[in-house]
Amino acid sequence: MGSTKRVSRGRSVRWRAGAIAVAASLAALTAACSSSSSSSSAVSASSTQTITFAESGLGTEGMQTAKAIKGFEAANPNIKVNIQVLSSDSTTYLSQLEHNFIAGSSTPDVFESDVTYPAKFAQAGWVLSLAQFSPNMGQYFPHEVAAGTYNGTYYAVPWFDNPEGLFYRTDLIKTPPTSPAQVVSDAEAAMKADKTLKEGIAFEADKYEGAITAFLTVDSAFGGSLNPQNIDTPGNVAALNWLHAAIYQYHIAPTAVTGWEEGQVEQEFVSGYTPFAIDYPFVESLATAAPVKGNVGYIPFPAGPGGTPGSALGGEMLAINAKTAHAAAAWKLIEYLTSPSVEIARAIATGDPPSLPGAYTSQLLSAAPYFAAVKTLNTYSAPRPVNPNYLTVSADIQTIFSSVFANSAANAASSALASGAATVKAAANATPAG
Amino acid sequence: MTAAVADASAAPAKPAVLKYRRRITPRKIVRETLFYIAVVIVVLIALFPFFWILRTSLESNSQVAAGVGGVNGIIPSHLSGEAFVNVFTQQSFLTPLLNSIIVAFGCTVVTIIVASAAGYALARLNIRGTGAILAFILLAGFFPVLAMIGPLFLMLRYIGALNSIYPLIIIYLVYTLPISTWLLKNFFEQIPKDLEDAALTDGATRLQTLRKIVVPVAIPGVFTAAILSFILAWNDFAFAVSFLNTQDHFTAPLAITTFTESGYQTFYNLLDAAVVIVSIPIALLVLFAQRRIVTGLTAGSFR
Amino acid sequence: MATEVEQVKEGRPARAGRPPRRGDKQERADRRLGYALVTPVIVLLLAITGYPLIYNLWNAFHFDNLSYGNLPHKWVGFSNFSALFHASSGWVAALERTLIFTVVTIVFDLVVALALALMLNRNFRGRGFLRASVLVPWAVPTVVSAALWKTMFDPRAGFVDYFLGFFHAPWASISWLGASVWRSWVAIFVADSWKNIPFVAIILLAGLQVIPNEVYEAARMDGATGWQSFRRITLPMLKPVISVALIFRTLQALLVFDVIYVMTTGGPGNSTETLSFLNYQTFIVNTDFGSGGAMSVLLVIIALIVAFFYVRAFRPEQTT
Repeated sequence: MGSTKRVSRGRSVRWRAGAIAVAASLAALTAACSSSSSSSSAVSASSTQTITFAESGLGTEGMQTAKAIKGFEAANPNIKVNIQVLSSDSTTYLSQLEHNFIAGSSTPDVFESDVTYPAKFAQAGWVLSLAQFSPNMGQYFPHEVAAGTYNGTYYAVPWFDNPEGLFYRTDLIKTPPTSPAQVVSDAEAAMKADKTLKEGIAFEADKYEGAITAFLTVDSAFGGSLNPQNIDTPGNVAALNWLHAAIYQYHIAPTAVTGWEEGQVEQEFVSGYTPFAIDYPFVESLATAAPVKGNVGYIPFPAGPGGTPGSALGGEMLAINAKTAHAAAAWKLIEYLTSPSVEIARAIATGDPPSLPGAYTSQLLSAAPYFAAVKTLNTYSAPRPVNPNYLTVSADIQTIFSSVFANSAANAASSALASGAATVKAAANATPAG
Repeated sequence: MTAAVADASAAPAKPAVLKYRRRITPRKIVRETLFYIAVVIVVLIALFPFFWILRTSLESNSQVAAGVGGVNGIIPSHLSGEAFVNVFTQQSFLTPLLNSIIVAFGCTVVTIIVASAAGYALARLNIRGTGAILAFILLAGFFPVLAMIGPLFLMLRYIGALNSIYPLIIIYLVYTLPISTWLLKNFFEQIPKDLEDAALTDGATRLQTLRKIVVPVAIPGVFTAAILSFILAWNDFAFAVSFLNTQDHFTAPLAITTFTESGYQTFYNLLDAAVVIVSIPIALLVLFAQRRIVTGLTAGSFR
Repeated sequence: MATEVEQVKEGRPARAGRPPRRGDKQERADRRLGYALVTPVIVLLLAITGYPLIYNLWNAFHFDNLSYGNLPHKWVGFSNFSALFHASSGWVAALERTLIFTVVTIVFDLVVALALALMLNRNFRGRGFLRASVLVPWAVPTVVSAALWKTMFDPRAGFVDYFLGFFHAPWASISWLGASVWRSWVAIFVADSWKNIPFVAIILLAGLQVIPNEVYEAARMDGATGWQSFRRITLPMLKPVISVALIFRTLQALLVFDVIYVMTTGGPGNSTETLSFLNYQTFIVNTDFGSGGAMSVLLVIIALIVAFFYVRAFRPEQTT
C-alpha cells in the first residue's frame, strides 16, 4: 500500500509535468511557425535585397504586374521582388494592409494603395514620406497627386488613374445622351425595342465604397459635390434621387443592383443585358464578344441644367511602408512601375489608364483608341474627400446610400441625406480622444 | 432505440393493447401517409439546397449570369467543370483546405487528450468541487466568441503570431472542450464500475486500470467526441476572419467568403464550387457516423 | 440506458465527505490524480476565456485605438460605456434588433424542432436516413449555410425566385438581400434556422427517448388523446431538456455573426447589424479596442444573464 502511494504520487507529478510539457511545446511551435510569416531580410550593401510588393490584382491585372516586375528585376539584378497578392475586395484589402501596419511589420515594403487611403496612413505614421526622393509629381494628373498628399508632404505616387463613367451600346443608342433625362428616355426606349435586354442601366449599389463612386459619377451632372462638412445639398439630393428613381420610379434599374459591385455591372454590360452601365474603363478590355464587341461608347455622365459632366476619380497609387528596411530599392520599384513605357504596356493589356498625361501617346491610342475617351474623363473626374478620417466618413455615407436604395419611398434620398448629414460631418471632423 | 426496447418489452405483457394496435383503420392509413409525406418534405428542406449548389457549381459563368429558367432549369442543359478548375487554379483553394485540415485535426487531438482526462476525473475520481468545475467548463462554452477576438488579437500581435494558423489549434479548444468533456464524462459514468474495481482489488494502480481497462472500452465515446470536435473546429469563422490576413493562411470557411466579396469576379458557380468541396466530406462523415453522433449527444444526459 | 445509469450510481461512494470504500489512501491517490487530470482543461479554458475577459475589462476603461498608435492609452473612466448608449454608436439599435431576432428565432425553432424530434423518435423504416439528412445542415460550417442560402435567394442564380415565379411572374426577380430590410432578415432567419433547428431537435430527441413508453400506454388505456398525452406527459417531462436546448439556441441567436457577415455585412444601411457584428467592426475594422472592450463586457453580461435566467427558470421543476 505504501509503495502504491509513492508510485501514484510520482505518477501524478509526471502527469502534471506532461501537461506542462505539452503546453510549452505548443507555445514554442506557435512562436516558431509564426516567426517565419513575418520575414525581414537583412540589408547588405552589395548583395541581393528582397522587397515585398503587395497588390490586389487577380486575372489580367495580376499577370501584367508580374510581367512588369520581371522587367524590373532584369533591369535591377540586385533586387528581387516578392509579390504578395491580397484580397481583390477593397474593404478586405484595406484591413489586410492595416493588420500588417498594426503588427509593426516591415513588409510589405511597397504596396498598392487606393486613392482614399494615403491620408489615413500618413496620419497614423504607417507610410514613408517621399520627400527624400525628390519626386517629380508634376508629371502626373494633379487630382491624383492631391490624394497622395497629407500636410503638404507626398506619401504616394499615382500608379493608374481610373475615372468612372457611363458606358453605352453604340448599336442601341445611336447618339449619346446629353442630359440625365435623356439617359432615362434612351434606356426606356431601348428596353421597349429590344426584349433581350434585362434592364436599362446597371450601376453599383451594394453597401461598399463603389456605391460612393457610382454616386460621384452622376453627382456633378446635377451640380452636386461631396463635401463631408455638408452633404445635404440640393445637387447631392438630386443626384441620389436620380439613382433611386432609376430603380423605383422609372424601373430602368433592377432592385438587384443593391447587390452589385463592379464585377456584376461589367458582366451585365458585357453579356449584352443592358444598354447603359456606370463602371470603370476595364470594361472595355473585356467587351470581346458579340453583340457588345466594337459597340462600346464611353462618356462622362451627361450634365443636366446647372451641372458639369460627371466622372468619379478612382485609381491606385504606390506607397512605401514606413518601417521598411529597403527604402531605396522600394523607390526604384515605384519609379519603374510609374514610368511611361511600363504604364502604356499595362494600359493596353489590362485597361488600367496611365496616371501620366504624357503616356497618352499615339502609340497607346492606336493600340487602344478608347483611351482618348479616358483622357477626356480624367479632366472631369471628381475625387473623394482627402481626409484622414475618410474611411469612417465613407462607412457612414455607405450606410446612408444603402438605406436609400432599399427604401422605395419617393423622398428616400432627401430624408436620408438630411438626417445623416450631421453624422458624416462629425465623422469627418473627429479627432481621437488622447 | 429506447422506444424500440420499450416496445418489445411492452407487447407480450398486454395482449389487449396488441389487439388494439392491430386494427388498421382508413384513418390510420391517412395518418401514416401524411407522416411519410412530412418526412419527405423534411428531407427535401434539408437536402435540396445542397442539390441546388451542386447544380450551380456545374454551370459556366455565362449560364449563371443568364439566370435560372429556360434551358437553365432545375437541371441545366449544359454542365461544365470550369468553376471547380478555377477554384483550384486561380483561387488556389487547396491551401485553405489544407490549413483547415491541419487546424481541425490538431485541435481534435488536443481535445481528445484533455477532455478524456478531465471527463474521467470528473466521472470517477471524486474530486471536491466536481459540480463547480463542470459548471465552469460548460459556462466557458457559452462565452461569446466575438468578445474574445479583441484581446486575443492584441495578444497574438504581441507575440508575433498574427496571420498564423497554429494559434488557432489552441483557440478553437473553446469550441470543442466544453462539449467533449461533458460528453466523455457522461460516457465514462456509464462504464460499469465493477470492471475497474476488480482490477484495483487485484493490485493495479488507478493509472494502470485507466490504460488497460478503461481506455479500450472508452474508444467509441472518444471516437464520437473526436468527430464532434473536428466538426466544431472546422466550422469556425469568427476567429479566422479576425486573425488571418493573407490568402495562403486562410482556413476553408474564410476562403469561401472571399468568393462572395471579390471585386471583379463574384460568380455563384465559383462560390458554390467551393461550398461543394467543403460540404461533401462533412456530409459523408455525418451520413456515415450519424448514429454515433446522435447517441453521443443523447447518451445518459438528462436525469 | 436508464437502467445502466441506475446501476452506476449505486456503486459510487458518497461524494460529500469521507467514507472511502477501498481505503483512505486509494481515495486520496485518486483525488490527486483527478486534480491533475482536470487541470489542463481548466487552465486552457481559463486562458482562452478568462484572460480576454480581464483584458477587455481593462481596455474598456482606457482609450486604445491602433489606428492612432502614437496616442497613449489614457484612462477614460466610463466614457467608452456611455458612448455606447448614444444613438450615434448604433449599439442600442443593434441590441434591439438582436433581441427581436432572438425571440422570434427561438420560438419558431423550438416549435419546429419539437415536431421534428417527435418525427425522429418514431420508429419507422428510413428513420436512419431521416436522421442523417437532418444532421447534414447542422454539420456544415455556418459560413457554408450562409453562402448556400445567399445563392438560393439570389434573383438570378437562386431557387427561391425561380420557384416564386411560378405563382406570380414579377416574383421571379425579387431582390432579398440588401434591397429591403425585412426581406434581408427573412433570408438571414432562414439560413440561421435551417442550420440550427436540427441541433435543437437532437437535444429534444434525447429527452423524448428517456420517457418510458409505459406512461403513454397507461394514458391511452385511460382514454387520453394524442394531444392530451402530449400536453400532460411529454411537455412536462421535456422541461429540463427544453431548457438546455433553449440556452444553446438563445445564446447562438444572440451572438449571430457568420450569417450576417456573409449575407449582408450589416446592410441595407445598418439594419442587419447585430451585437456580435458590431463587435467585429469595432475591433477588427475600426481597430478600436477601448470601445470594443466596453461592448464585449456588456455582451458577456448579457450572455450571463440569459444563462442564469434559464437555469433559474427551470431549476425548481427538476427532481433530483
